Amino acid sequence: MAKLILMFKDQVMQEFPFSKESMTIGRNPENNIQVDNLAVSGYHAKIDKVGSKFILTDLQSTNSTFVNDKKIVSCSLKDRDKIQIGKHVILFLSSEKDRAEQSDIDETMLLDTVQQRELLAKQGTVAGQSLKKIGVLSFLGSSEIGEVKLVKRLSRIGKADNCEIKLSGLFMGNTAAAISKRPSGYTITFTGGMTKLKVNGQVIKESVQLDDYDTIELGSYKLQFYQKEVESI
Amino acid sequence: MKSTIAKAAGLTDVGLKREINEDSFSTDMKLGFFVVADGMGGHLAGEVASRIAVDLINKSYKKWFESDAPEEDLFDYPDQSLSKIGNYIQSSIRLANKVIHEMAAEYTDYNGMGTTVAVLAVMPDLIITANVGDSRIYMVRNGEIERLSKDHSIVAEQVEMGIMTDEEAQQSPLRHVLTRNLGSAVHLEAEVFEIEPSSNDRFVLCSDGLTDLVTDDEIQQMVVAEDDPEVLCQNFINKALTRGAHDNTTVVSVYLSDIEKSKSDPFKKMGRLLADILTSTQKATKIFKS
Repeated sequence: MAKLILMFKDQVMQEFPFSKESMTIGRNPENNIQVDNLAVSGYHAKIDKVGSKFILTDLQSTNSTFVNDKKIVSCSLKDRDKIQIGKHVILFLSSEKDRAEQSDIDETMLLDTVQQRELLAKQGTVAGQSLKKIGVLSFLGSSEIGEVKLVKRLSRIGKADNCEIKLSGLFMGNTAAAISKRPSGYTITFTGGMTKLKVNGQVIKESVQLDDYDTIELGSYKLQFYQKEVESI
Repeated sequence: MKSTIAKAAGLTDVGLKREINEDSFSTDMKLGFFVVADGMGGHLAGEVASRIAVDLINKSYKKWFESDAPEEDLFDYPDQSLSKIGNYIQSSIRLANKVIHEMAAEYTDYNGMGTTVAVLAVMPDLIITANVGDSRIYMVRNGEIERLSKDHSIVAEQVEMGIMTDEEAQQSPLRHVLTRNLGSAVHLEAEVFEIEPSSNDRFVLCSDGLTDLVTDDEIQQMVVAEDDPEVLCQNFINKALTRGAHDNTTVVSVYLSDIEKSKSDPFKKMGRLLADILTSTQKATKIFKS
């Protein structure tokens, strides 16, 4: 069985076995763990046993609850976590059995969508409502192309037929450059040919990540990159 | 023609705490196709799920790739943002998902089984990566590491939303809770990225047994330091073992050859010089005209 050890200035005051489904901590005598000190709120915090886990929740106390020196609202307790309430410390010790069960969290599990929605709702965000950002290339100067949306994961630029963005020019590479959407954002890569690739005036020989309003030069073409939000791609 | 892939290797290890290895992987040098899968679910179900995923994804991809299948023939709707081959991969993952999902529903022994996947396809002019769950794909290019996969876990999503930092995510008790896998839902969308290959690119596909214990920076250093992918895989497994290996660990590493050698030949250099002169004259004429 897990237990809680109430301490004050490194002195053990009292031990509480975790015998119930839920334990409350506060100044009021009705609490399972009473801490008689003015820095402690009437009902300061509670710990709930959820499956094999112990969840500590601050009950909107005046002076907050800290775990291992970090202010928390709610958190899952690990063996030997130090709960700080006012000047008192409550040490959480999980039992051998609980510890073995807790290590199961190491095992990968899948969150079902209901749980996920609840979690996300708690975080104040709604799943599925996020707008997607899409990269756009806008041709500057006397080009008749105007704007090109980067709808593909990989957009090749050059004079070859398989290029998403076809540009002419005697020395334009078949594929002169490629823009890929990667986990970190849009990246432009020089892929070959005799026409230089410049981003913000710098010659690019390998690749560089694109930021909003970067200018890209490819021979006599000048383009500006930016991202705009769209409902769906 | 010289092959794009110089050398590739794969290795898996049960670790020190588990009794069964639920990871599966495949390496197909000829096709340039590599898969890592990390199964979950009690008894033997996890092992079954990851094995089915690896086998089915390989089989469908090979069939479609070799017959140059039109996109209409694939399973489920093609994704317009992907190339045809990108859709082969997306579709092969969706098909494997459907099979695993139906098996899990059909047989009590397989209830709740699922698996992650990480896929890498290497072609002379295109690299495609795809993933579901928290198995990852890394690319080391010019000594720098980049993730070419997106974790489908609660913590990764919270990091993306800015609710949590990377460090907090690593410590979070929820770090192993996935939001997507193969097997749990009827429909599935894999994360797919397409990039241009570059000379001497090095790729690492791995299960979370590795990334739980070894940081991105350490992976980068180890990849840069080792020229033999086979030794690299062994080094990664050893690293995980010395750190407790609480989970199965699987690593596949793929090293590309020097594919752009022709670029530096002197004739082309001359040509490029000439081109530069011409483009500047072109520009000058344009300015002059306007």
